[in-house]
Amino acid sequence: MSLQDAIAVRPVAEALQRAQAGKSYWSRVRERLLADRITMAVMALLASIIVIVLAAPLIATHDPTVGSVFARLKSPGYQGHWLGTDEVGRDLWSRILYGGRLSLLCGVAPVAFALLAGGSLGLLAGYRGGIINSLIMRSMDVLYAFPSILLAIAICGMLGAGLVNTILALTVTFIPPIVRISETVTAQVRSFEFVEAAQASGAKPLSIIRFHILNNVLGPILVYATSLISISIILAAGLSFLGLGITPPDAEWGLMLNNLRQAIWVNPLVAALPGAMIFITSMCFNLVSDGLRSAMDVRI
Amino acid sequence: MWFFIARRVLYAVPILLGVSFVVFLLMKMVPGDAADILIPPEAPREVAAMIRARFGLDQPIHIQYLRWLQAMASGDFGTSIFTNQPVADELFGALANTLKLALPAALLGFSLGVLLGALAAHYSGTWLDKLFSAFAITGVSLPHYWVGMVLVAIFAVVLNVLPGQGMGPEGFPSTWEHARHLILPVITLSLIPMGVVSRLVRANVLEIRSMEFISALAAKGLMGRRVLLHILKNAAPSALALMGLQFGYLLGGSILVETVFNWPGSGSLMNLAIFRRDIPVLSATILVLAAIFVAINILIDVLQALIDPRIRR
Amino acid sequence: MICRDWTGCRLAGLTTVAWLGAIAAAIPSIAQGTLRIAMTATDVPTTTGVPNNGFEGVRFMGFTAFDALVNWDLSRADKAADIVPGLAESWQQDAGDRKKWTFKLRSGVSFQDGTHFNADTVIWNLDRSFKQGVPQFDPQGSAINRGRPTYFAENGYRKVDDSTIEFTTTRPISYFPYVLTTLFYVSPTAFEKAGNWAEFAKAPVGTGPFQVRNFKSRISVDLVKNAGYWDKARIPKLDKVVLFPMPEANTRLAALRSGQVDWIEVPPPDAIDGLKKAGFEVVTNSYPHVWPWVLNTAKADSPFRDLKVRQAVNYCIDRDGLVTLLAGTAEPSVGFFKKGDPRFGKPKNDYKFDPAMARKLLAEAGYGAGKTVKGKIMISTSGSGQMLPLPMNEFLQQSMKQCGFDISFEVVEWGTMLVAFRAEPTAPQAVNSDGMNISLVSSDVSMVVRWFYGENVTPKGSNWGHWRNPDFDALLLKMEGAVNPEEFRKTLGAMHEMLVDEAPWVWIVHDRNPRAMTRQVQGFVSAQSWFQDLTRVSIR
Repeated sequence: MSLQDAIAVRPVAEALQRAQAGKSYWSRVRERLLADRITMAVMALLASIIVIVLAAPLIATHDPTVGSVFARLKSPGYQGHWLGTDEVGRDLWSRILYGGRLSLLCGVAPVAFALLAGGSLGLLAGYRGGIINSLIMRSMDVLYAFPSILLAIAICGMLGAGLVNTILALTVTFIPPIVRISETVTAQVRSFEFVEAAQASGAKPLSIIRFHILNNVLGPILVYATSLISISIILAAGLSFLGLGITPPDAEWGLMLNNLRQAIWVNPLVAALPGAMIFITSMCFNLVSDGLRSAMDVRI
Repeated sequence: MWFFIARRVLYAVPILLGVSFVVFLLMKMVPGDAADILIPPEAPREVAAMIRARFGLDQPIHIQYLRWLQAMASGDFGTSIFTNQPVADELFGALANTLKLALPAALLGFSLGVLLGALAAHYSGTWLDKLFSAFAITGVSLPHYWVGMVLVAIFAVVLNVLPGQGMGPEGFPSTWEHARHLILPVITLSLIPMGVVSRLVRANVLEIRSMEFISALAAKGLMGRRVLLHILKNAAPSALALMGLQFGYLLGGSILVETVFNWPGSGSLMNLAIFRRDIPVLSATILVLAAIFVAINILIDVLQALIDPRIRR
Repeated sequence: MICRDWTGCRLAGLTTVAWLGAIAAAIPSIAQGTLRIAMTATDVPTTTGVPNNGFEGVRFMGFTAFDALVNWDLSRADKAADIVPGLAESWQQDAGDRKKWTFKLRSGVSFQDGTHFNADTVIWNLDRSFKQGVPQFDPQGSAINRGRPTYFAENGYRKVDDSTIEFTTTRPISYFPYVLTTLFYVSPTAFEKAGNWAEFAKAPVGTGPFQVRNFKSRISVDLVKNAGYWDKARIPKLDKVVLFPMPEANTRLAALRSGQVDWIEVPPPDAIDGLKKAGFEVVTNSYPHVWPWVLNTAKADSPFRDLKVRQAVNYCIDRDGLVTLLAGTAEPSVGFFKKGDPRFGKPKNDYKFDPAMARKLLAEAGYGAGKTVKGKIMISTSGSGQMLPLPMNEFLQQSMKQCGFDISFEVVEWGTMLVAFRAEPTAPQAVNSDGMNISLVSSDVSMVVRWFYGENVTPKGSNWGHWRNPDFDALLLKMEGAVNPEEFRKTLGAMHEMLVDEAPWVWIVHDRNPRAMTRQVQGFVSAQSWFQDLTRVSIR
């Protein structure tokens, strides 16, 4: 999880310098991306997963929370259940669809919130410097001292299971590295001459930040964020596995994984599906992250 | 150099204080305390009151915090509310057990990771690169606890060649019996470090290889191994940083694997302590794990500074 | 392969056979002795004579290494286990002052370290839990022992002479001996040598058929045969029992199937078929366990304040379906005791899955097509005796829809549920629940008093739903003051009839205590109790 915090700083700064070369950077990025067939294919796969999962209410064949005890752990094809049934007799296809929504939510939401919160905190710390900087950065250091999964488990373990607590716990876990990156980049950009020049010419601080920093940091942050999403999905599934994440009767891939553990003896195919979905989705995000990285020429 | 080290170490103290504060705060947000779990549901109120008084659970929060801090500072880790055993014994025993897993997993993961990453970089652009990179990505995208369960199902139950759970015989791992119990959990635990390290090493090697000074060296006539040495020396700092963090993660994040394999390590100790609201055990465990993490971070910083003097923040 | 050298071959053959025979002869003596058991507990139960981890702790670390004054007879599978003399060979309720009981201690009993068992040791052990000032006072042990009602009056026990103890209860309790069954006795000499309970835990000394050795926190503990046990009929056949805590059902399953243990508690129901096919034994039996919804009758807007609604719920439970879901590891429950139990009585209501009846009752209560019964039930993710709370409750939720019930759940963690159970049903801990799904013990009549007596409402006692029925309470007091077994039985029967007809709980299922073991395990009798006797067990 914490791989990026040690090394993300450098490429971001480099990206900044390269970006100063001008607008052709983004069109070059787009060209490279479109030419990278593997990444395009993976993006298409990911997009289709997201679309399918969002369309769950339309394409699910059954209610994901309704089960019949006499139709437990049936194989694919049984009585209209395309993928079989789970341990309470609920349709697996529908549960995978609806579960995907929650799993993706638990993947994207914490990262999005962390970007917002962490990004702003880091921006503030980097721009203002001084005491505010110390206060924010030292608090982050404290959170940093926890291995990430420990923090997530501790928060969920204390506050209880459930969607809100899971997202909260994961957000808190992701904030420190984002704050760090954001702060470093902001501090560096702030020191560039063009920012001072802009200030001298009377431009307001907010517009300076917005124009220069955001424009140039966006790329590497995007790369980092997509890899974080894949981690977030796995962590959320892990929390549900431990009984700390999503609660029944909601469907979520990690929770389904846990419930179907016993099913490995009865119907192994049915038991493998949620794990496969977590794997595929997580892998897609990672591959997209890599693709973006090469396209943006972020060298790490 | 010494000043640098001293500064880092001194800095760790307020960090740990902050960690302890966060831990304590989290614990107080929990509904109910250890007394509630310890006492059977039908107990009369005086029993609950007696337990609370005995363990200081009826004091205001800040008093409890200060008392606890005082005890920790003097080396008294307290006694488990549940088992009545000294926390230090339980905790360090559990840590030792986790180390038995984490060290081999780190070794396996890092060496495989470096190998795969270097190979992928060497054959960059070819199908071999894609293959090795696929391994790496799989390592970080798989839910590793699921892999553990599948491995148990295959090797322990169906094939019956390896034990399905548990740590096996006591003591320092030195026999085949020990090794049998280690194989599956270590493989499971090493997946993520392997993937992460491999990706980083590949990217680093590629980047450095493309740097001008390498072409300069090649132009000068330096071949093969000497160039590799230069590349490694430049790739080392960030690789080391990553490995250190991954090791910290292995120590602190082994809980899922320990659950699947019933390994009595610090992860499962913490899990148990959370559910039982055994505050002495929980706070000591989190604090010690965080302290180790902080220590690893300091070590990395120092190593990095030694290898590459430019990196001295 | 044809033998060319006939003599040589014969010699080789004979030697091989002799050699194999020697090994075969040696193996039983190695393998015979040790039984390895995987428990559902998250940790090794405390070994100090006050086991934690609930009744599973008492099962494996109570009656194995220790005895109580009153033990359970665990030798029969065909009827509910009842009490027998343990360390006390007889007891008598005083005819005049019915609050006084005299217990005659068994003579000639020694602890495993040779210390003589007598009245002084009994007092010493009771002080450990009930007298705060003494050096041997054990706070955790006290919490556990005092958590189970003993009805001791102030200074409720005293030594009469070396082999007689007199107990005084707070009010006449006809079933008093039952409450003494979970108080165990350890050797004071051993405690003094150890100095404190943590040290004592490493090598505890009791009077039981096994001796505790090799205590490794969170890993395992050994129970070694005590050849000098006072009950000659119950000296263990096994040399050693090794106990492993394995809270994950799948881990237990893997351990059994891969040969790491010989016996597991509570296999996952789905695996039972596979286990049987693979040649393992799956043993189940009734035991006094109830898996109900305890209904909240105190909350002002709880739909279950209405008797008709409570009865309707009971008519809307698909018990057979649930039993199928659990692969036969449970049995339907239509009352506190099992149907067929001599204490069951003849209630008017015979609950079965009858949606029409349920809808009729709901209509009489004012509900109907437009108005469904909305209720929130607190359920846990796991817990001792909770079985598989999530799938089971979800199943119930679904099947109850057809009668007009709209049930939602508040899913909490086991510890949180225990906290809520101790508080009032209208307290914030209850999070506005109209009922709680918590499994409870029904081993004897002291339990009926615990859960249903009007004076025992939480937080004072354990009647969480605050169900109060003055007629029931009157019967209960009559039962407590009963002077002969006949009167006792009749009043108890009448009480149980009320429990069924007034439906303070939703009667759902009784667990059947499944365990799985290899065919090598012999002699195990699955008693109808939370506890089991390991002394009759041997392993081939």
